[in-house]
Amino acid sequence: MASEVQAFDLLLAVLLLWLAWRALASADLFKAVVQYIVFGLLLALAWIRLGAPDVALAEAAIGAGLAGALLLDTLARIGRAGVRDEARPLRLTRRRAGVALAVVGLAAALVAVLLALPPAMPGLSAEAMAQLERSGVSNPVTATLLNYRAHDTLLEIGVLLLAVLGVWVLDAEPRLDQAEAPAPLHWLVRVLLPLAVVVGGYLLWVGAHAPGGAFQGGALLAAGGVLLHLARPFALGSGWLVRLAAVGGFAVFLLVGLAMLLLGGGFLHFPPGQAGTWILLIETAAMLSIALMLVVLFVGRSRGAG
Amino acid sequence: MNAESTLLALLVLPLLAAVLSLLVGRRWLGWLGMLVALLLVVLAVRFALQVAAGGAVAVAIGGWAPPLGIALRADGLSAFMLLVQSVVGLGVHAYALAYFAPARRAFWAAGWLLWGACHALYLSGDVFNLYVTLELVGLGAVALVVLGGSGTVAAALRYLLLALVGSMLYLLGVVVLYLEHGNLDLQALGTLVQPGLASSVAAATMTLGLLLKAAVFPLHVWLPPAHAAAPAPVSALLSALVVKAALYLVVRLWTGLFGELPAAGVALSLLAGLGAAALFWGGVQALLQTRLKPMIAYSTVAQIGLLALVLPLLQGGAVAWNGLMLLVAAHALAKSALFLCAGVVQRQYGHDRIAGLGGVGMQLPLTATAYFVAAVSLVGLPPTMGFFGKYLLLEAAIAQSRPMIAAALVLGSLLTAAYLLRPLALGFTEAATRQAPRTAGLGLQLPGLLLALAALLALLVGAGTPLWRLLAVGMPA
Amino acid sequence: MSLALLYGLVGVGLVAMGLYAALAARHLLRRLLGFNVLGAGVFMLFIAHATRAVDAAGRPDPVPHALVITGIVVAVSATALALALLRRLHARHGRPTLPEDREG
Repeated sequence: MASEVQAFDLLLAVLLLWLAWRALASADLFKAVVQYIVFGLLLALAWIRLGAPDVALAEAAIGAGLAGALLLDTLARIGRAGVRDEARPLRLTRRRAGVALAVVGLAAALVAVLLALPPAMPGLSAEAMAQLERSGVSNPVTATLLNYRAHDTLLEIGVLLLAVLGVWVLDAEPRLDQAEAPAPLHWLVRVLLPLAVVVGGYLLWVGAHAPGGAFQGGALLAAGGVLLHLARPFALGSGWLVRLAAVGGFAVFLLVGLAMLLLGGGFLHFPPGQAGTWILLIETAAMLSIALMLVVLFVGRSRGAG
Repeated sequence: MNAESTLLALLVLPLLAAVLSLLVGRRWLGWLGMLVALLLVVLAVRFALQVAAGGAVAVAIGGWAPPLGIALRADGLSAFMLLVQSVVGLGVHAYALAYFAPARRAFWAAGWLLWGACHALYLSGDVFNLYVTLELVGLGAVALVVLGGSGTVAAALRYLLLALVGSMLYLLGVVVLYLEHGNLDLQALGTLVQPGLASSVAAATMTLGLLLKAAVFPLHVWLPPAHAAAPAPVSALLSALVVKAALYLVVRLWTGLFGELPAAGVALSLLAGLGAAALFWGGVQALLQTRLKPMIAYSTVAQIGLLALVLPLLQGGAVAWNGLMLLVAAHALAKSALFLCAGVVQRQYGHDRIAGLGGVGMQLPLTATAYFVAAVSLVGLPPTMGFFGKYLLLEAAIAQSRPMIAAALVLGSLLTAAYLLRPLALGFTEAATRQAPRTAGLGLQLPGLLLALAALLALLVGAGTPLWRLLAVGMPA
Repeated sequence: MSLALLYGLVGVGLVAMGLYAALAARHLLRRLLGFNVLGAGVFMLFIAHATRAVDAAGRPDPVPHALVITGIVVAVSATALALALLRRLHARHGRPTLPEDREG
């Protein structure tokens, strides 16, 4: 990561802003969603440029990939009529003027804050690196997610679980009327699904010492699942096994944390020697749960094939 | 069991219950729910006693000291909110036992996650962790609202969208704070924050985001439809507990993190102005409603306004602080009782039209009594908790030369009396308009009554010196 | 101009655009996209700043990275729920807008 601004950065910056505006202002929502997906991929590039490969992986897989798939699926279900919006959807009207003014004011204040910042600041990196050996992993981002700030991650998995619960509460949706999936899709699934499983597992394993981790691995597994559903739709329902798989990651996380408490250390307090093993255990359970939950968010409660 | 262990138990138990709710058989859901709720009330009482005696409690999760790690912190305010949360939660879950028959797994699972999220919120000492808890609370509330069926979807979506914008605004403030100070710990930031553009921007966006979530006028538009459409126990949870969490954070921010800023006084006065507007606008709208649940929902808007109205008094000392807490508890108990009563009426008559409430006093005596006691507490008549809270606040307002606040308090109470007592008058005086098909059982009527009565009983047991001692722990100077 | 400042400014731009769309647009999907762009802007502010807070070896501050990953998961979870609600709303009312947004 070079710390100098290069021509590439200027281009990327302009593209990001332009694509975001197009995505928000396009009258045709299909175009808007596609532009948003491309925006997401460019955002992943920006993360790489800013030295955040873990985030880039997560953004590409979850932010652009799965979110994009969900958006497109929704567009397909709301049909032609719902997709077309008025010609200039963000046109400044009297009603919107107040919001626009406030937003511009906020932006100006933020720019002023940015310009007033000193060129370098300690942040938390020194501390994070210093404690890295005790954390059980050598990737500082994984150390932060699964050790230093594990409480955040536990709750975050809870958020995903709540989204799944919400989707389950909403009534089952009818299956989309669609033609038999085209042959290339079946071929693609045959190739990509095993690849997704292998790469997902690899990302989990390698996350301990290189960019990767449970979320990225889980998202990749989920991508494989979504592909499978597109080629050969299936229904997951909300039976006991599915519920167990969905809550498994959260449960393992909570129980390991409790075990640490009962063994005398403290809630989510991993003894330095064993930390790596516990983290791997939690991450494996979390990856499988996350993958399932993301697939459930896509598949919903659609009545199955046939 | 020392204070730290009790704190951790309060954090972990609801989350554990959520996991079990997804796995156990359906007929055990209610029993599990009641058992855990009772346990939590016991733990909350114990924790309050421990904090009152031993002072503030802090736990660094995972053994990592802040700012790298997340610190859980509890003072008198947190312990008190946990207590209110647990008592109201117990009442509502007991009601849900009878309301959702056969048991709805989604209610219990999402309900426990929501309860756990609220506990995590009251215990958190880290500004980013608070963002995650806020999102958890928001999504939990939405998941619960849609239990009401497809009629709730518009209200749920409106709430979700605004809640998401609210938390993102809050997160923006967190980012600005991190940019300036490289720290996420609430206590540490309190000492690091300096007057300036960065802290003003952070304070503004964080407060704005929280006001959206607390439904303070004029950002309240999502509340009446959502709380009116949701099933009764869910409305009770939302009005009594969820909006309080956001308001609690506003109090924390402006008495702790941003409390030393010179702008704090102005900000609090601004909030008081919005509160007064909410009190009257909400009250008038409540008067105009023809159905019970929307009326109670607008009443929430008004009562949140009342709580915001008295915020400037907090800078003046213990009397106002104690008064506000009594009012928070009184509102939580009374509001949940009111919604539970509305639910009973809906079950009994198939509707909740105020005009059709004739004869309720005869046919649902327990419910009518519960409504009466709850209304009296909300209006602020003796000897309820609401009365003592308002009395202390009036005392503080006069002592701090804030006649406007005092006047708004009194006028607001009159308005509250007007819209709350109207259904009561109809129910007790008019004859039954028609014979009810069946009587709503004891299981449905009792929890509401008990919650309402708690506003009276709690006063005998807890208020006065023990409560003041608890609230004194960590009270801002 | 440093990397942090350039991308920070991009972040501010995204926050502004996203916030405006989330509050002012009429079509619910557009408002949701606005929320996501708003999130991207906030995340960008966070990560751009991380390049200023480097350790001795020049590696950026890992804490904002971890927090942004958390933020992405939360945002996508919320988006998924919102989309499910949107589909249901459309199925029931035929139009993906809230009642108050429907008039001109």
